[in-house]
Amino acid sequence: MGRYLTRRLLQAVLVLWAAYTVSFAVLYLLPGDAVEIMAAGGGEITEVTDEQLDAVRAEYGLDAPLAEQYLDRLGAALTGDLGTSVQTGERVTALIAEQLPATLRLTASAGALALLLGSAVALAGAHTRRPWLRQTLLSLPALGASAPTFWVGLLLIQLVSFRWGLLPAIGDQGWQSLVLPALTLALPTSAVLAQVFAKSLRDAWEEPYVATALAKGASPARVTFRHAARNASLPALTVFGVLVGNLLAGSVVVETVFSRTGVGRVTATSVTVQDIPVVQGLVVLGAVAFVLANLAVDLVYPFLDPRVTTGGAVAR
Amino acid sequence: MSLVERAPRAPHRAGSALRAVARAPGLLLSVVVLVLVAVAALAPSLLTGQDPLTGVPADKLLPPSAEHPFGTDQLGRDLLTRTVHGTGPTLRAALLAVAVGLIPGSLLGLLAGALGGAVDDLLMRFADVLLAIPGLLLSLALITALGFGTTRVAVAVGVVGVAGFARVMRAQVLRVRESAYVEAAHASGTRWSGVLLRHVLPGAWGPVAVFAAVEFGTVVLAISSLSFLGYGATPPQPEWGSLVAGGRDYLATSWWLTTLPGLTIALTVLAANRVARALDHETREAP
Amino acid sequence: MRFSHPSPVRRRATVPAALLCGALLLAGCGANASSSAGGDAGEPVEGGELTFALASAPTCADPQQVATNDSLYPARQLVDSLTDQDPETGEIVPWLAESWEVNEDATVYTFTLRDDATFSDGTPVDAEALRLNLDGIAALGARAPLGHSYLTGYRSTEVRDTHTAEVAFDRPNAQFLQATTTPALGLLAPATLERSPGDRCTEVVGSGPFVLEEYRVNSSVTQVRREDYAWGSSLWEAPGAARLERLTFEVIAESGVRTGGLSSGQVDAIGGVAPQDEATLEASGLTPHRRANPGLPFSLFPQLERPLVSDPAVRRAVSLAIDRQEIVDTVLSPSYRPATSSLASTTDLYADHSALLTHDPETAASLLAEAGWREGPDGVLTKDGEPLRLTLVWGANFGPNQPALELIQQQLRAVGIDVVLRTVTAAEYNGVREEGDYDYAWSNTTRTDPDILRAAFSDTLANFSRVDDPALEELLNEQNGTVDPEVRGPLVERLQGELLEKGYLVPVFELTTVLGYGGDVHELDFEASSRLQFHDTWHG
Repeated sequence: MGRYLTRRLLQAVLVLWAAYTVSFAVLYLLPGDAVEIMAAGGGEITEVTDEQLDAVRAEYGLDAPLAEQYLDRLGAALTGDLGTSVQTGERVTALIAEQLPATLRLTASAGALALLLGSAVALAGAHTRRPWLRQTLLSLPALGASAPTFWVGLLLIQLVSFRWGLLPAIGDQGWQSLVLPALTLALPTSAVLAQVFAKSLRDAWEEPYVATALAKGASPARVTFRHAARNASLPALTVFGVLVGNLLAGSVVVETVFSRTGVGRVTATSVTVQDIPVVQGLVVLGAVAFVLANLAVDLVYPFLDPRVTTGGAVAR
Repeated sequence: MSLVERAPRAPHRAGSALRAVARAPGLLLSVVVLVLVAVAALAPSLLTGQDPLTGVPADKLLPPSAEHPFGTDQLGRDLLTRTVHGTGPTLRAALLAVAVGLIPGSLLGLLAGALGGAVDDLLMRFADVLLAIPGLLLSLALITALGFGTTRVAVAVGVVGVAGFARVMRAQVLRVRESAYVEAAHASGTRWSGVLLRHVLPGAWGPVAVFAAVEFGTVVLAISSLSFLGYGATPPQPEWGSLVAGGRDYLATSWWLTTLPGLTIALTVLAANRVARALDHETREAP
Repeated sequence: MRFSHPSPVRRRATVPAALLCGALLLAGCGANASSSAGGDAGEPVEGGELTFALASAPTCADPQQVATNDSLYPARQLVDSLTDQDPETGEIVPWLAESWEVNEDATVYTFTLRDDATFSDGTPVDAEALRLNLDGIAALGARAPLGHSYLTGYRSTEVRDTHTAEVAFDRPNAQFLQATTTPALGLLAPATLERSPGDRCTEVVGSGPFVLEEYRVNSSVTQVRREDYAWGSSLWEAPGAARLERLTFEVIAESGVRTGGLSSGQVDAIGGVAPQDEATLEASGLTPHRRANPGLPFSLFPQLERPLVSDPAVRRAVSLAIDRQEIVDTVLSPSYRPATSSLASTTDLYADHSALLTHDPETAASLLAEAGWREGPDGVLTKDGEPLRLTLVWGANFGPNQPALELIQQQLRAVGIDVVLRTVTAAEYNGVREEGDYDYAWSNTTRTDPDILRAAFSDTLANFSRVDDPALEELLNEQNGTVDPEVRGPLVERLQGELLEKGYLVPVFELTTVLGYGGDVHELDFEASSRLQFHDTWHG
């Protein structure tokens, strides 16, 4: 177990390093001139002279050769320094730390909601005896996955908040203001989960142990919850990392639509003003979330997978 | 499955596809939606006779009616016409995005699968890294560097798909490579590149096409999201995402401006996904 | 999916008032809208909170460093100005300065400050603080986009005694007195002036009735009342602390969400009410409050170094092809007026030149034909094989900009001029204008003094249109050389006409500030420049 964990951790660090490198390559090597963008990104500067450009180059260490810049920045990133925002002059790590709690509240609620919705639809779909209901339930995920998030958000605002006056459409105070954004963000994720659950439930029913359990007199509901559901959660775990990343990325749209604060909103504005250090910090944050989620899965996996626990060996 | 059996399969497949469509009304509907979308993209004037750019200012913000099924916008332009004419730019961007993912992605997957060893390891680790960055964030980083505009947005969205295509292609190459007929061809002295072109590629193509169909739905959503955030098309050219974005200022008064173009996006993606699922089913059933 | 807020009684009462407002904008109708709305509201309430939704994020908390209206609304509350301007009469009245004198040729201004005002860090507002502020604004240069042009020719400030200071200019600067009413020349504590411009964007200390509590970039600004504030503008109902205890500005970019947020009571007041939402608000008993902004109307500014628009015939044709009334009727509302001069109608010394701003596509077409333009493929005019295609650069600082420009695009297309719209972000806008890679740029500016024309066209200042015209430059400086309206009036009138005749700008419509709030918000007052003053505001 110890060696298994060490290897996983090492891999995680490698992935993070590579993600940092990719984002550096994208933002600092591509045709757009990072310096011009930065010099103009300050907002009120009306004329960008060559001296100003040189000053910006020196300020951000952009006058050094690329390899040197890369090593400098990577070294700084290792000590937790992701640079300074061009727009506000704030440290990128401080900016993210300040905005992250609001986004975590949103994504965590959305994740929980997605799990609830996804499993409810899949279980109900697997269990109902009415074909039409089953058909409807099983086609819901496809609908959820096809609707643009921003559109769903606008529809919810229009109906639930403005027309029926049930919940607030804006702000980030109290749980009421969290419901609509969390629901909007949860829908696509719940669609993925429902599809995964439904498929593994179907597969699980064909497994011999289910037949055995049924033969021993267990009720279908009991079999579903005790055996099949547990088994069905394994495939869902493998997409957990991707879903966490998607929730984080989805917050860009959802926080914009609902005028909420958070890293998503910061992302949208940073892209608009081309605030390169902040964008890079956010990309790295996305990779960190993905890697942490996968590490968590690696930790949980041995406890859930019967083959891993009974066989004593790690199969992955 | 042997080489001899492969030849007569095309008609059989077409026939079964037809039967499958007839069996599933949802699939039939999806095909109809996609055909309509294709017509709208290639010959928009077949579906609507009105001008997408010039409206009648006096007829602004009319709710849906027989004359204007989608209503009119703030300049009195027919919204259905704009949605239809917006299909071309939207679809072109989506196809470009799929191509940007498909071509380099499949090549990388092909190389990794065919060469194996260190090359395979390196390429697949690279794909893993791309998958570790949430897609939308990677696109946003690319847009920050490249700038705004529909084409750039399409490229930024497409790059995200590279890793997915590489994985699918590699898996197929590995599977096909180990199958009996390829081994036989290889053993009979055909050169490796020949085997790759004649046998591996055609065999691997099906699942890649399915993935491309799924990817199509994904990129339409991603492109419209980015257009919505304001990084896409320039006015007055209609494009689906920016149509919804343009309508949100009228959210409180004119629901149709956001609802109906949004519904068009949702239906198109739904249809593309449904067809992709049917294709997937087909390729799986035919081993 | 329309709103239905049944309050027919209220509706009947407010609609005629609103119509009246629309028709009588010249009288500064909106300035009193709040007091009239609060007529039967009873005694003002002390304390309370108010949340105001801004349409765009403030760019900085420091009033000296900002230019957008949404930045100025919160920044205004943090500082006092030397003087204030009556929104109805245009008269300059005391605030921090008890009295002032201007010499004959408008080169020396002597201000006597009141002796009881302090900054919120406890330091006194005195002549030395005034000197440090004006020197500081001059040193900020382009980082003080408004103050910089107000201080043209600034020589120095001499401290005469603790509360008397003499501001001297190298050249006549008649507009300076009105400029001292604006937040851009509001006074900051000397300790704040010592900090870097960037730091001042999130932490700034002034002497105003509100103190900055928290500035969250792109999200919100929270201010609390200063309890020991004991002075104030002579326009306010009474000196002393503000009525509201706490004032929060939330950024809500979506106009539909702002309107819905107000209707459902999630915010108390909103700025940037979209034209299409005005009727909705009225129907739900939330009367929109309006005031036409003085200054430059929303206009097309040619880049005169570019070949196509350097031709006066093309510029004249562009102006003639635009149907201003249709734009107001289609994408705006009756609160807005088509432009009738180079200046908006609420600007001091405005003169009506509507005869130069008619809609006449036939004349436009014949002018272009005379200039050698012939019909080419797909209806676009061509000359020597080159199409008449103009690039128009614009930013989204005002919601209806996009539909308005798309309509202008249609109208110009009708006479054979093809317009390519190039959208830029607020951050890019200045850079793009510097580069000059466009034919027309779209913008407006708010200012009550007609000297805004000099700020916009002088080749020592912004020079929006890259004008190279010594005669115009002379006229621009001449009008700033005298404070006597009898002399200045005719000069400014001539200037307004000349700019139109030469096509140095194509004004289209005047900006109107439209606020929305319910019957429980009172005395939310417009300043002379249509920006907001929250000192007297109360929330019942």
